[in-house]
Amino acid sequence: MATQTPSATTPRGDAAVEPKIQTLRELYADAPQLGRDALEKAMPNLKRELAAGTGAQNAGRIGARQGKVSELTGIFPFATPAGANRLRVLLQFLDGNFKLADAVGTVHDMRFVFLDNDTKLLFCTAYDGEWDAYIDDFATKIPDALDLLFCDADGWPGIRNPKIKDWIVGHQIAAQAWYVGNPNLTVAETRRLAKVGKAVEELLDKIA
Amino acid sequence: MATQTATPTRAKQSLTVDEKIQKMRELYADAPEIGKAALENGLPQLTEALAAPSAQQTAGRIGLRQGKVSELCVFLPFVEGGAKRLRAFLQLLEGNFRAADAVGTVHDMRFVFVDNDTKLLFATAYDGDFDPYIEDFAAKIPNAMDLWLCNCEGYPGMRNPAAAADWIASHQIAAEAWYVNSPNLTGAETRRLEKVGKALDELLDKIGD
Repeated sequence: MATQTPSATTPRGDAAVEPKIQTLRELYADAPQLGRDALEKAMPNLKRELAAGTGAQNAGRIGARQGKVSELTGIFPFATPAGANRLRVLLQFLDGNFKLADAVGTVHDMRFVFLDNDTKLLFCTAYDGEWDAYIDDFATKIPDALDLLFCDADGWPGIRNPKIKDWIVGHQIAAQAWYVGNPNLTVAETRRLAKVGKAVEELLDKIA
Repeated sequence: MATQTATPTRAKQSLTVDEKIQKMRELYADAPEIGKAALENGLPQLTEALAAPSAQQTAGRIGLRQGKVSELCVFLPFVEGGAKRLRAFLQLLEGNFRAADAVGTVHDMRFVFVDNDTKLLFATAYDGDFDPYIEDFAAKIPNAMDLWLCNCEGYPGMRNPAAAADWIASHQIAAEAWYVNSPNLTGAETRRLEKVGKALDELLDKIGD
């Protein structure tokens, strides 16, 4: 399980980068040939990346964050095959219509993936801010939807149950690495910018 | 780990909303108590969602798409020593994926070590369809890709893009459901909007002075 601690974001000098390059060379010395070649070719770019200040933060209790956006990755065993079937049919009927996630307003994306002959559910999401606040938000705004979606996960205590957070943490696997293309924009900011963009275009049209 | 070679076909879309509700009631009749209660409490919103037109598309060869944004999720077995090497590499990078910035179509990506470090779960949100996405990686950042993926079994190398795409697809598991909050914005469009927003703020500041 990866644990991250926040650290300085200032760029580092050569003195800090050299030992890292050395470590990488040692690590890739017995990599497949493909990897050894790639290390040499990628070296100029790698030096720049290794010289950058840290781009990895944590999402609070568990998970990685980059800028304003965090990740949650959980693998949940289904209690019964009938439960897996129930969720699959629900998701097929919903057909991508997650208006309730829109209502929460902090979810960038989320996926439901069935694993190991439908015995487990992989749930991955990208969301704004800190883990505890995110779970609280779901519990407050869309408790029934959460219970409907996850009631067939083995041991699901219910979103209104005080044990819910510990239960989720027990199934979450923190990402070892996490990248966000636009790390400085929350869901709300992105939505606002989409409106701003439209308004600016209309304005420019009028001037023309 | 189960693998699917194609996006599962969406079943029973010809049913009416009432028929779907009826089916949900039947299915949840023997659900855990919490689920049964949630179905009754959530029925008005659920009915609305079931009445909405389909919001789910495919990402081409494999995977789901919503609007302009697609999902890719793979489980890749590590070669011996590969997990340790990739973990150390990712720790040294500390979240600095300029190579992904250079590709420009990646919304997010995560590297998760699963099953006692025997497999890598890689999940990403990206713009467009599967094949152009992989071709883009092969064209723009082959070395970075080789550095990550050489640690996984059977990886043919990004200089063999057709084989690499086949290899990735063979380990991919298409999501059953996929949600994107701003499905109509590519990564590039969002970055452009960020600049527009900044420019507008500056303009308004000048007018305000």
